[in-house]
Amino acid sequence: MLRYLLRKLLIYSLTFVVAVTIDWSIPHLMPGNPVLALMSRIQIQNPQVAQHVYASYMRSFNLDLPLWKQYYYFWVSLVHGDLGTSIMQFPTPVSSIILHAIPYTLGLLIPATLLSWYVGNKLGALAARRKVLDNTLLPFGYILTATPYMWIAILMSFLFAVTWQVLPVGYAYDPTAGRGWSLTFGYDLFRHWLLPFLSLFLVACGGWAIGMRNLIIYELEADYAHYLESLGAPRKLVRKYAFRNALLPQITGLALALGAVIAGALVTEIVFSYPGLGYQIYRAITNEDYFVIQGIFLFIIVGVLIANFVVDIVYMIVDPRTRIGMQEGGQA
Amino acid sequence: MVRRRRRRAVGWLLVAVGAVAVIAAFGTGGAGATWQAKSYPRAQTLITSGTQWGNIAGMNPYVGNNAAGMIGLVNETLLRYDPLHNTYISWLAKSTKWSGPKQYTVVVRSGVKWSDGKAFTGSDVAFNVNLARFNTSRWNNLYQNLKLPIQVKGNSVIFNFKGTPNYVQWQNMIWNMPMISPVQGKTIKTAQDLTTYNPHNPIGTGPYKLDTSGYDVTTRVVWAKRDHWWASDQGVSPAPAPKYIIDLVNTSNTNSLAAVLAGVEDLNNNYLPGVNKLVDSGKVQTFFPRAPYMLSANTAWLEPNTTRVPLNDPVFRKALAMSININQIVTDDYQNLVLKASPTGLLPTWNKYVNSKAVKAYGFKYDPAAAKSMLLKAGYKTDSSGMIENKDGSKIDLAISVPQGWSDWEAARDMIIASAKQAGIRLHSVVQAYNTWQSDRNTGNFDLVIDNAYQISDSPWTYWNGIFHLPVISTGTGQTFANYERYSNRTAWNLTQQLDTTSPSDTTTIKSLNTSLQTILMKDVPMIPLWYNGIWAQMTSKYWTNWPAAVGARQYIPCMWNGYLQMTGIDTITHIKSTRQAAGG
Repeated sequence: MLRYLLRKLLIYSLTFVVAVTIDWSIPHLMPGNPVLALMSRIQIQNPQVAQHVYASYMRSFNLDLPLWKQYYYFWVSLVHGDLGTSIMQFPTPVSSIILHAIPYTLGLLIPATLLSWYVGNKLGALAARRKVLDNTLLPFGYILTATPYMWIAILMSFLFAVTWQVLPVGYAYDPTAGRGWSLTFGYDLFRHWLLPFLSLFLVACGGWAIGMRNLIIYELEADYAHYLESLGAPRKLVRKYAFRNALLPQITGLALALGAVIAGALVTEIVFSYPGLGYQIYRAITNEDYFVIQGIFLFIIVGVLIANFVVDIVYMIVDPRTRIGMQEGGQA
Repeated sequence: MVRRRRRRAVGWLLVAVGAVAVIAAFGTGGAGATWQAKSYPRAQTLITSGTQWGNIAGMNPYVGNNAAGMIGLVNETLLRYDPLHNTYISWLAKSTKWSGPKQYTVVVRSGVKWSDGKAFTGSDVAFNVNLARFNTSRWNNLYQNLKLPIQVKGNSVIFNFKGTPNYVQWQNMIWNMPMISPVQGKTIKTAQDLTTYNPHNPIGTGPYKLDTSGYDVTTRVVWAKRDHWWASDQGVSPAPAPKYIIDLVNTSNTNSLAAVLAGVEDLNNNYLPGVNKLVDSGKVQTFFPRAPYMLSANTAWLEPNTTRVPLNDPVFRKALAMSININQIVTDDYQNLVLKASPTGLLPTWNKYVNSKAVKAYGFKYDPAAAKSMLLKAGYKTDSSGMIENKDGSKIDLAISVPQGWSDWEAARDMIIASAKQAGIRLHSVVQAYNTWQSDRNTGNFDLVIDNAYQISDSPWTYWNGIFHLPVISTGTGQTFANYERYSNRTAWNLTQQLDTTSPSDTTTIKSLNTSLQTILMKDVPMIPLWYNGIWAQMTSKYWTNWPAAVGARQYIPCMWNGYLQMTGIDTITHIKSTRQAAGG
C-alpha cells in the first residue's frame, strides 16, 4: 500500500510541475499587452510620460525580463507563497483577490455539488427501479442537464428577481447590508445565495440522475445480478449490490467535480454578480491579467490533483477489488 | 439499524454542507474591514453603479480602477468644469488666473479643512503639484516647464514657467488634479511609490469619507457623509442629502439592467440597450426625456490606418466617410440614444468652435453614389462585380475591427460594412478580444477600427492632440495614447501645439486655430467621425428625486465616471432630494 501511495505521489508531483509550467506559459502566449490596457485607464496626454509609465509598470511586473527569467522567478515566488500582483487591479496582490473570492465560490459550489450529487443519485436510482418514474424523471433530467447554466440563471433572475421580486437580483448581499455576525446578515446572505445555488443545483442534479439511472440499469444486466436472481435473492438485495457498484463511477465524478469547484461557476457568477473565483477568472482572462490567471489556475490544478488523490484513497476503501489487487500485487 | 445509520449519515452530510455554506459565506472578510452589523438605511442611501468594472484596486487617484467617486467625493480639485455652460467653477481655489504670460496664481480658499481636521493651505497645493515631478505622473511634462521652487505666500500659490506655458494642458490639470493629503502623501518618495500609494482610509476635503466597515473590494465602496463640508458651510454648495453613497462593482450591462428594473440602483451609468423604452414607459428617467436621452461623452470615430493603401489617400478616406449611413446606426443600432457626429467630430459642448462655413465647404454627408463616382474620377477602377479596386487594379478588401463583445459597436461595424458595399467599397470584419484589438491598434496592425479614445474636456485641443500628435512611434509599444491612425501632418501638429500655447485671453487666435484644424480634418479625413457616445445615465425615483434634466436649473451631469464628479457630477449629488423630503414627509 505504501509503495502504491508513494508511486501516486510521484506521479502527482510530476503532473503538478508540468501543469504549473503550462499554467505559467499560457497567459504569455495570449496576444495583446496587459500593461497597455492598464495604461489606457490613465488619461496620459504626453508620449514621454507614457513611455515612463509603461517602463515603470513593466519593471513592476518583471515583464521586461527574458521569458526564462520570468519563469524562474515565478517558481521562486511560488515556493515563497507569493502569487504576484494583479496587473488590472494594481497593486492588489493576487492572493488577496483569491482569498476574497474563495469563500463565495466554496459557499456556493460545495453545497450545490454535494446536494445535487446526493439528490441526483437518489432520483436516478428511483428512476431505474420503476418504469413510471423512469418515464417522468428521465426526460426531466435530460432537459435539466442540457440546459445551459447561463440560460437557467438568467431565467431565474428574470422571474424571481425582476418580475416577481421575491429574491434579490444579484450580488452576495444587499448593497445596504451591514456585514456582521448576525442572523439578519446571515439571512441576507442566504437569500442572495439561493438563486445561484438553485441554478447550479438543478442543472447538475439532472446529470447525476441520468448517470445513476444508466449505471444501475447496466449493473442490473450484469452476470452477477442474474446469478443472484437465479439463486432466488430478493430484488431488493440485487438492487442494493447494483447500487454499490454503480456508485463507484459517481464517486469518481463527484471527486473530480469537487476538485474543479475552485474554478467557480463562471457564467452563474456573472449573471448574479456573485463575486467568486469564476468571475475573477473571467475578468482576468478578458484583461490578460497574467498573474491572476496563473494564481487561480494554480488553485484549480492543486484542487484537481488533491481530488484525484482522494478518489484513489476512497476507491481503496470502498472497492474491495482494488484492495485485493493491491495485496496480490504486493505478494507477487 | 442500517437504515438508521444511513439516515444519520445523510443528516451529517446535510449539516456539513450547511456548515460549509455558512462558514464560507461569512468568510467574506473584505479588505481588512471591521465587521459590524450596521446597515445603511435605504432611504438615506444613494446607490450607484456603472463606473467600477472589476474589483476595486484601492484608493490611489493616480492609478486606474480606484474606488469610484474618490475624486470628487473625497479628494477634490482646485477648480471644477461645467462643460454644458463652458465655465470653470472655483472650488478649493477661490480664484485662479494667469497673472503674467509665464505666471499662474492660485488663491486657496480659506476655511477648508481636511477630514483629519487640518487646514487646507497653499502648501498643500504646492505639495500636490510637486508630485508631478515623478515621471509616472500624467502631468510630469507640465512640471518640467516649472521654475522651482513653487512659491507659496500665505494662501497664494504662484507658478512660474521656464518657457511658454502649455495653457490648455495646465488649465486641464487644475480641474483634474486631485488634492491628496500631505500627511498621507508624504510616503510617496519615488516614481514607483506614486503608483503603489494606497491609503487605508483616505483623508480628503470632500463631503464624504470612506466607510471602512462597509468597504468590500469585490462588491461595493461605501462613502459616508462628513458632518462638516467647507462648501456647504460657506454657502458655496448645498449639503448633499444622501447620508451614504454606495457604488456597486459592475459585472455586466445585463446585470445592471436587472438591478435598475428591480429598484436596487438609483443612478446607473451603464449602457443599457433599449433604455429608451424604459424612459418612454416612465420606469427610469434620463437627462433628456426623449431622443437623444443622453448627453454626449466622446466621439466614436472610424480610424483608418493612413499608412496603408488605399487608406493613405484622402480621396479614398472621404469616399469611405460618405459611404457610411450614420443615421442608420443612430436609429437602428442605438434607437436614438446617441447623436450623429458633426463632420468636424467636435462634441456638442464645443459647438462654439465649429465653423459652419468650413463644414458647408468641406464636410461630408451620406451619399454612396457620389462616393463611388468620386473614386472613379480619382482613378480607382471597378472589378467585374462593380466593387472598387486600387488604381493599379489590385483588390481592395479592408478589415474593420472592434473589441469583441461590444455589441453596439459590433452592430455598427456590420452596418458600416453593408453601407460601404453600396459605394463599392469592400470591407470585412475581424473579431478580436479587447487586448488584442488594442495592441493591434497601438502597433498599427489594422486597417480600420472604431475607436473613442478622446473624451469630453474643456478644450477641443484634447481631440486635436489625439488626432494630430507627432511623432508617430513605430517601434516598441507603438502609439500609446494618440494618433493611432498614424497620420503625419506637420502643419496640423504645429497648429495643435500652437493652440496649447496660446493665451486663453486670445480668443480670436483660438477660434482661428480651431477653424484651421477642423478644416484639415474635414479635407484630409484622417479620422471619420461617426456618432457621439452618450454619458449613459438612467435614474429611478423610488428613493431620490430632483435629478438633473435638460430643462430647468439642474443642468448637471448625472455621472459617477472618473473625471465627471469634478465636472458637475457632484452637483447632481448635492441637489437630489429624498422622495420623502420632496413629498414633505
